[in-house]
Amino acid sequence: MSSTHVRAVVAGETYGLPIEHVTEVAELGEVTPLPGAPSVIMGVRNLRGSVVPVASLAVLLGLSGDHSPQRLIVTEDDGRRLALAVEDVTDVTDIDAEPEPSESPLLHGAVLVDGVLIGLLDIRALMSAASPRGR
Amino acid sequence: MNDIDPQLLQIFREETSERLDRIVDLVLATEAGTAPADSVDALFRDAHSIKGNAGMVGFPAAATIAGAMEDILEDAREHGALPPGLTTALLSATDAIRRSIQGDDGDPAATVAELRAAAGTEPAPAPNGPRAPGAGSPAAIPEPPPPDLEPPDTDPEPPHPEPPHPEPPGQPSPAAVAELTAAAPPSSSSLSGASPTSVRVGTAKIDRLLDVVGETVLHRRRLDHLLRRGNEDEERLEEELGSGDILLADLQDSVIQMRTLPLSSIIGPFPRAVRDMAAETGKQAKLEMHGTETQLDRVILDGVSETIVHVLRNAVSHGIETPEQRAAAGKAPEGTVELRAEPRGGLVAITVSDDGRGVSTEIQERGRRAGSLVEVLAEPGFSTAGRVSDLSGRGVGLDAVKRHVESLGGGMEIASEPGRGTAVTLLLPLTLALMELLLVERGGQPFGLPLPSVVEAFAIDTVTTLGGRPSIDLRGSTVALIDLAEAIGAAGEELAPRSPAVVVSAAGQRMAVVCDRLLGDQEAVVKTLGPLLADLPGYLGAAILGDGRVALILEPSFLVRRRAAVAAARAREEASHVSRVLVVDDQFTVRELQRRILEGAGYEVLTAANGVEALEVITREPELELVVTDIEMPEMDGLTLLQHIRGEPDTDTLPVVIVSSRAGEEDRRRGAEAGADAYVVKAEFDQRALLETVGRLIERR
Repeated sequence: MSSTHVRAVVAGETYGLPIEHVTEVAELGEVTPLPGAPSVIMGVRNLRGSVVPVASLAVLLGLSGDHSPQRLIVTEDDGRRLALAVEDVTDVTDIDAEPEPSESPLLHGAVLVDGVLIGLLDIRALMSAASPRGR
Repeated sequence: MNDIDPQLLQIFREETSERLDRIVDLVLATEAGTAPADSVDALFRDAHSIKGNAGMVGFPAAATIAGAMEDILEDAREHGALPPGLTTALLSATDAIRRSIQGDDGDPAATVAELRAAAGTEPAPAPNGPRAPGAGSPAAIPEPPPPDLEPPDTDPEPPHPEPPHPEPPGQPSPAAVAELTAAAPPSSSSLSGASPTSVRVGTAKIDRLLDVVGETVLHRRRLDHLLRRGNEDEERLEEELGSGDILLADLQDSVIQMRTLPLSSIIGPFPRAVRDMAAETGKQAKLEMHGTETQLDRVILDGVSETIVHVLRNAVSHGIETPEQRAAAGKAPEGTVELRAEPRGGLVAITVSDDGRGVSTEIQERGRRAGSLVEVLAEPGFSTAGRVSDLSGRGVGLDAVKRHVESLGGGMEIASEPGRGTAVTLLLPLTLALMELLLVERGGQPFGLPLPSVVEAFAIDTVTTLGGRPSIDLRGSTVALIDLAEAIGAAGEELAPRSPAVVVSAAGQRMAVVCDRLLGDQEAVVKTLGPLLADLPGYLGAAILGDGRVALILEPSFLVRRRAAVAAARAREEASHVSRVLVVDDQFTVRELQRRILEGAGYEVLTAANGVEALEVITREPELELVVTDIEMPEMDGLTLLQHIRGEPDTDTLPVVIVSSRAGEEDRRRGAEAGADAYVVKAEFDQRALLETVGRLIERR
C-alpha cells in the first residue's frame, strides 16, 4: 500500500503528513498570539484573508530538541483547519513500506526510509489534541 | 422504506415543511379571525399536495394523515368556512406529519382519529394526549378559547368587512409567507437542521451582485486601457481608481445583503408557541408583532428563533395571569404579548413584552441592588430556586438565553413593573460579518472591542485598590478596573501611569479595561477563528487590519465575567490577609447595608447588634482590624463600647469609626474625646466616604 506524504523536519526528527490532508505550505510569517488558547497553539495567522490557528508541532509531539519553526504546513480535516509550524519541509514522497505501529496516539506508525525513521502523523488526532476543551 | 435519491428526499422534506408552516399560519390566522377569505382553499391545496407527494416518496403515514386533513378540509370548503374547534387537531396533525417525514414510523391512526373526532365525523376518542383539560381547573376552558369579541363562526361570510386587512402586523399574507419561508426553512419542530451551510438567496440579490461584478470587469478594462496609454492621463487614472473603491464597497455590501434576512423569515413558529403555551396553562393570550421587516444576519436568525420562542413561552406561562386573576386586577381576560424589533444604535433590539403581573417588588429590589434585573433573573439556576421562582414568575432558562445572545456579541435587558408586565429585550448585532470596532493595543498586540458596547474612553488617574479589586472614580461613580492583558491571560509589560481605559458595558455591568494605546475605530470584516477553536471562550472572532496584522475581537461580557475571576485569584494570592472588620448597629438594615458595602470592597465583615455583643466578638477575634459602630444602641451604646476598647491594652489602638445619625458639633466632639478615629454622619452617608475612611485607617495600621 503506497501513500504520499509531505516530509517535514521538527526538532531534528522527520515526520510525514498524509498529502490528502495538506492544503498548502507557507512561511511561518507573523503569528498573532491567542491568549487563553491551549499552550500548543502559537496563535493565529492571516493566510490570504482567512484566519488560521497555528500549532507548534514540536510541542504537540512533546519533543524536547531545539526547534525554531520557519515554515507552516496547513492541514485540513473535516472542515477544520490547522497550520503546523515546523523547521523545514523537505519533500513529497511515496511511502510503500508498511508502517511499524507506534506508541504515540498522534502517529499512525513509523517507517524506515533510506535509513531515516519517519513518524507518520495522524492529522485528526493532532487536531483533537490542539483544540481547547469547552469552558 | 425509501430507496430514494437523497437529493429528491431533501427537496421533498423542504417543500413539505414549507407547506406545513403555511398550514400552521393559516390555521392560527383563522382562529384569530384574520385569515383571508380563500384560506380554506389554500389549506385544502396544501394538504392535498402533501398527501400526493408523501405517498409518492414513500411516507405512507404522512400521506394517511394528510389525506384525513384533506377530507375534513374538503367538507369545510363546501361550507365555505373552517368549523371552530379544529385548530388543535390540525396543528397536532402537522406535527405528526413533520415527525413522519423525518423518519418516525409512528402509527397515524391516533392522529387521524383525533382529526375526525374534532371534525365531528367520528365519535370522540377517550380523552388522551397532553391537551386534556388540566385537573386543577374543573371549569375547564373551552378549547380553543373562543376569541373574545367575535361570535363563533356561524356566518359563512367573514364577520367583519376587513378581508383585505390593510395593516397586517406581522401576519404576512400567504404569498409573503411562501416567499419568506422559501428563503429560510424555519421548521422549528423538525429535525431538519442538516445542512446549515447552504442558503437560499433571492434572485434580486444575486442580480444585484452580478451587476456589480459586471461593472467591476469593465472597471478593470478601463484601468488596463489607461495604463497602456502611459501616465499622461493621471487624473483619469485617479478617477478610475476612485470608482474602483466604490465598486468594492458595493460588492461588500451586496454580499452582506445576501447574509441578511428579515426577522419575518423566522416568526412562523411564534404565534403557535404563544397559543400552545396559553392552552397548556389555561390562559388567554394573543401575540402582536411589529418591525418584523427588520433585517438581521441569517447566522444570527438561525440560532435566535428558538431563543425567542423560549422568551415568548415564558411571557405567557409566567407573565400573563389567568383570566380570573386578570379580571380581578381589572384587566381584559386576554393578555397581550408583543414582539417588537427595532434598530438601536448599531444593534437590533428585539423586545418581548407582556401586560401580565410583572416581577415582585422583592425581586425588583434585588435587581436594584445587583445593578440590574438581568443579574437576578438570568442567574444560572435562578428559576429552580424553589420559592423564588413562584414569586418572580421569570427566569426559566433565561441564563441560557443570555449566554446565547452574549456569544453573538449582543446582550439582554429586562424591565418590569409589578402588575403591569415585563419586557425582555435581546440586543443583537445586525450582522456577524461586519462589526464596528474600537481598536486598542496591549503588549504590542492589537485587539478589537465591539463599538456598541463601548461607553467611553479616558486616561486613568487615581486607582483605588481594595481586597485585590482595583477601581476608579468616574464622575462620582465607581467603575471596576481590569488590565486587558490580565483579563485574557496575555503577556504585557507593566502599564504606564495614565494609560488609557475603555469603559465597556456588558451583562448589565460597566467595567474599565486598561490598555497601552487606543488605535481608533474601524469597521471590520469579522473572521471566525475556525471550527478548531470554536470552544475557546472570550473571542467573537478576528479582524485583519490594513497592515495585515490580526486583531482579536474580544467578547465584552467575557471581560466582565473575567474580572470577578481575576480579582478572586489575586485576592487568594494576596491572601496574606483579607482585612477583618466589625460592624456594630442595632438596626438590621443599617448593619446589612454596611456589611454589603464593605464586603463588596473585599473586606471580611463580622456584625454585632450592640456594644455587649461587639465586645464578645472583639475578644473572640484578635485579628480584627477595625470597628464601625453606631452610637444609640440598647444594652451598651457606642461611646461606652469605645471606652471599653480604648481601656484594654490589647485593643487600645484598634481603629473605630462612628457612624451616627447625630450630626451636631457636640456629638462629634464627644466621639473624638472618647477616642474615635473618624465620625461619619448617617444623613450624609456615602459609601465612598466610608470606604475611603476605612481603607485609610487600615492602611495606617
